[in-house]
Amino acid sequence: MIGLRVHKRREPLGWGSFLVFLAAIVLSLAICSLLLAIQGKPALSALSLLIKSAFFSAWAVEDCLVKSVPIFLCSLGVAIAFRLQVWNIGAEGQFALGAVGATWMALTFPELPWYALLPAMLAMASIAGGLWGLVPALLKIRLRVNEIIVTLMLNYIAILFLDYLVYGRWKDPASFGFPMTPEFSAGGVVGTIGASRLNWGIAVCIAAGLAMWIFLRFTRLGFELKAGGENPRAARYARLSYDRLVILVMVLSGMLAGWAGFLEASANLNRLQSSIMAGYGYTAIVVAWLARLNPLMIAVAAFLLAGLRVGLEALQLDLQVPAAFGEIMEGLILLTVLAGGFFTRYRLALRRKT
Amino acid sequence: MRRLSIVILSLVLGCSLAFAAPKELKVGFVYVSPIGDAGWSYAHDQGRQAVAALPGVTTSYVEAVAEGPDSERVILNMARKGFNVIFATSFGYMDSMLKVARQFPDVVFEHCSGFKLAKNMGNYFGRMYQARYLSGMVAGYMTKSNILGYVAAFPIPEVIRGINAFALGAQAVNPKVEVRVVWTKTWYDPATEKEAAKSLLDVGADVIAQHQDSPGPQEAAQEKGVYSIGYNSDMSKFAPKAQLTAPIWNWGPFYVQTVEQVRSGTWKSESIWWGMKEGIVDLAPFGPMVPEDVRQKVQAEKAAIISGTAELFAGPVTDQAGKVQVPAGRVATDEELLSMKYFVKGVIGTLE
Amino acid sequence: MNPDMLVPLLAAAVQSGTPILFATLGEIFTERSGILNLGVEGIMLVGALAAFLTAKVTGSPVLGFLAGGLFGAALAGVHGLVCLTFLGNQVVSGLALTILGTGLANYLGTPYVGQEAPGFKVFALPLLSKVPLLGPILFNQDPLVYTSYLIPPLLWVFLHYTRWGLGLRAVGEYPDAALAAGLRVKGYRWVGVLAGGWLMGFGGAYLSLAYTHLWTNGLSAGRGWIAVALVIFAFWRPWRALVGAYLFGGVMAFQFRLQASGTNLPSSLLLMLPYALTIGVLVFSSWKGKGDEAPAALGINIEPSE
Repeated sequence: MIGLRVHKRREPLGWGSFLVFLAAIVLSLAICSLLLAIQGKPALSALSLLIKSAFFSAWAVEDCLVKSVPIFLCSLGVAIAFRLQVWNIGAEGQFALGAVGATWMALTFPELPWYALLPAMLAMASIAGGLWGLVPALLKIRLRVNEIIVTLMLNYIAILFLDYLVYGRWKDPASFGFPMTPEFSAGGVVGTIGASRLNWGIAVCIAAGLAMWIFLRFTRLGFELKAGGENPRAARYARLSYDRLVILVMVLSGMLAGWAGFLEASANLNRLQSSIMAGYGYTAIVVAWLARLNPLMIAVAAFLLAGLRVGLEALQLDLQVPAAFGEIMEGLILLTVLAGGFFTRYRLALRRKT
Repeated sequence: MRRLSIVILSLVLGCSLAFAAPKELKVGFVYVSPIGDAGWSYAHDQGRQAVAALPGVTTSYVEAVAEGPDSERVILNMARKGFNVIFATSFGYMDSMLKVARQFPDVVFEHCSGFKLAKNMGNYFGRMYQARYLSGMVAGYMTKSNILGYVAAFPIPEVIRGINAFALGAQAVNPKVEVRVVWTKTWYDPATEKEAAKSLLDVGADVIAQHQDSPGPQEAAQEKGVYSIGYNSDMSKFAPKAQLTAPIWNWGPFYVQTVEQVRSGTWKSESIWWGMKEGIVDLAPFGPMVPEDVRQKVQAEKAAIISGTAELFAGPVTDQAGKVQVPAGRVATDEELLSMKYFVKGVIGTLE
Repeated sequence: MNPDMLVPLLAAAVQSGTPILFATLGEIFTERSGILNLGVEGIMLVGALAAFLTAKVTGSPVLGFLAGGLFGAALAGVHGLVCLTFLGNQVVSGLALTILGTGLANYLGTPYVGQEAPGFKVFALPLLSKVPLLGPILFNQDPLVYTSYLIPPLLWVFLHYTRWGLGLRAVGEYPDAALAAGLRVKGYRWVGVLAGGWLMGFGGAYLSLAYTHLWTNGLSAGRGWIAVALVIFAFWRPWRALVGAYLFGGVMAFQFRLQASGTNLPSSLLLMLPYALTIGVLVFSSWKGKGDEAPAALGINIEPSE
């Protein structure tokens, strides 16, 4: 009788793993095409339209870059927590709190010039976002409470808190009663680069990404993070205790998501309103995992997933594909890549069973 | 001579035919929720279909577009693709539309429920409060417990205004009535909205009205055996024994008129706030349980509103705290209506 | 709030808590076998849509309910495939499943928003509903609620008094030892995932067939996540899951009744109650618990031997 046996690979697959990754993407696209066909949409032209309108024009690339800023920052934060196997699902709420913190600063000190106000807003966003990451960290280390649920619940609470502020005390008196804060003063707006629609948030992304890469690659703490994730007991020999590491990654995570919230509020909306929440925190998890928690790959994946969102709008406009299609693609891609990871870590061998 | 006149005649005919031939127009719609929500976006889409039926007009739409940078991109894309008229159907699209309007002076932009204008951007809305006032009258007549329940969505002016109009209408025929408000912070979530309706039923309400788009509250009312006021007429099929009537939107005539104006070159930017007279809002047919005398009184009031003799927010209008918001002797201005931030006396509920 | 409202509030708590109960019991089943399935929210939505469409097409709410379970199990099967066959990370797979399930349900269900399906109606049990106090609360509900009463005892008996239940628990606590003893670890885990998904699908079906007779995007509104938390609160035991689910149902029902009674508290803050309570409940469980209630091998994939 022939059977299959599974062996763990001695060495990782290298280039083959990229092929596996590609195969996974192709599989998920095939399933998506099937779903499109079920709804009566022309599958192949839909997919080509998706890709074309996401990447193949100057303004599409611009749109993708603008959109990838918050995704990238949230994802960077999520990745650093995931490295320690601390499952931070709370990027969405930390993003919201960061936006709230920055807005508070902008509304309280509108007369400040930009070189004072913007850093102050960034600082406040860091504190607020970091705080929202600290709470689940403390609960985890002191009371062994599962961080997945806590961060998730804090997402809902943060969004409701944001609603409470924009419907109540921060509502713009000139907005005819609609829930939005007054527009930020000129000093509170992160400006655009030249005549394009890009904003200086890109610079923040590049700086944060580089800093993270250097930290993980070249510092001892960065190495300890990775080791601590794979085996909490090994972390005991590290300089920082496991508990301190958990706090560090959650605060950093929250801070980075908070920066994303600050940039969205300041650069894109120029005010705070409920519609700032666009699910970036959840997309960030998909991006972080697809990029294997590596900062440089995160940049690529963030751009691609931003492209997915941009291309999807064209599908809606031209082919009336429902908006939920994007979530299906994200979910499928992640699942197929997860399944594909099997082939990079193990190999199959045929065995004769006697 | 005769040949010349034939040539001239055919030239003139040819030119007039060219002018009379409909210019191809592309009209785009941006919706904030899926059109299947049986409510707000659904009503707009019905209007779009009226436009699509016009000769020489093609329409397209994007649904579930988040307010903010996403909407800016969608509107921008439509403009780039050569759309001639773009309708944005949610307040939050205002700033985005304005930004794009500045870049595309040849495209006509229309924003629903907002207040900003530009040379090529107008805004439009409907006086839904008129229909709500009438539905309040029906509720006031039909209630026995004198407690009316209102399942409310979000504390924005149009919702608040609708609740106030409903309350004023009910109080006009039944001064003892009180309106209790529960906020769900949803636009279409039947489970949550049904629960909210049930909570109002538990405090004794026997007519349930709503501002959301799902029939959840209607179901709750029907199950308890009491009455309800829908929102967009489909709801009677969910609660045939309960629905008294419903205030409904009718965007078709406005959309068709706007597109025709653009086509003939007579469109100009303005703030449009049509009412029952123009047919943009209406009351759904009465349910079988509404007695004839109630129907007649309500129809009479409706006729008064249409002819302009009825003034719904005529002073004195007192708010929950007892302060007089509109003094006696005058009527609330459009500006006051559009930015309404208080509940009238007789409404029990918070504003946030 | 006056005391007259207490009985309706508790009755509403039972209704509101029933979908959470189904989902929690399903997740308990799965986690007891050692698999962590975070895709509950997505599975509930898919179950809700499947139930809704089946009931609409066949005209039978019962078939719809069963279909909800079937499709819930099918989606859970994807999680099983990724984790049991392909040894993917269980946490991330569950999250991906939530995203996929939510997207699938919304995508396929968009044309049906605003339509009604034949569903279950309230049906008072003859003698029992007259029992003072408990009668109107527990026995004046729809048939699916009555079904949900049967599951905790059945699950408890299965887990503690049958050979298969023992096997399932062993696989979740000491998979290596179980494997050595000849138990088919993967087989038990598949059962755990599929049966759990079935119950989660039932939870979703309840929302679209009994709680309302409607479908819309996002019908579950976070209940799936609350179920995951309640498993911890319940210390992985079926009876405590009952307490947790009704507690949650009660909070959700309570904050509306508080509004209807004319409170001055802003509704945003009131709406936070269920989520804040979830955190509170987790803190309480961790503080009270000994730390060893979770199945020892929860979330860890069995690596194949060299």
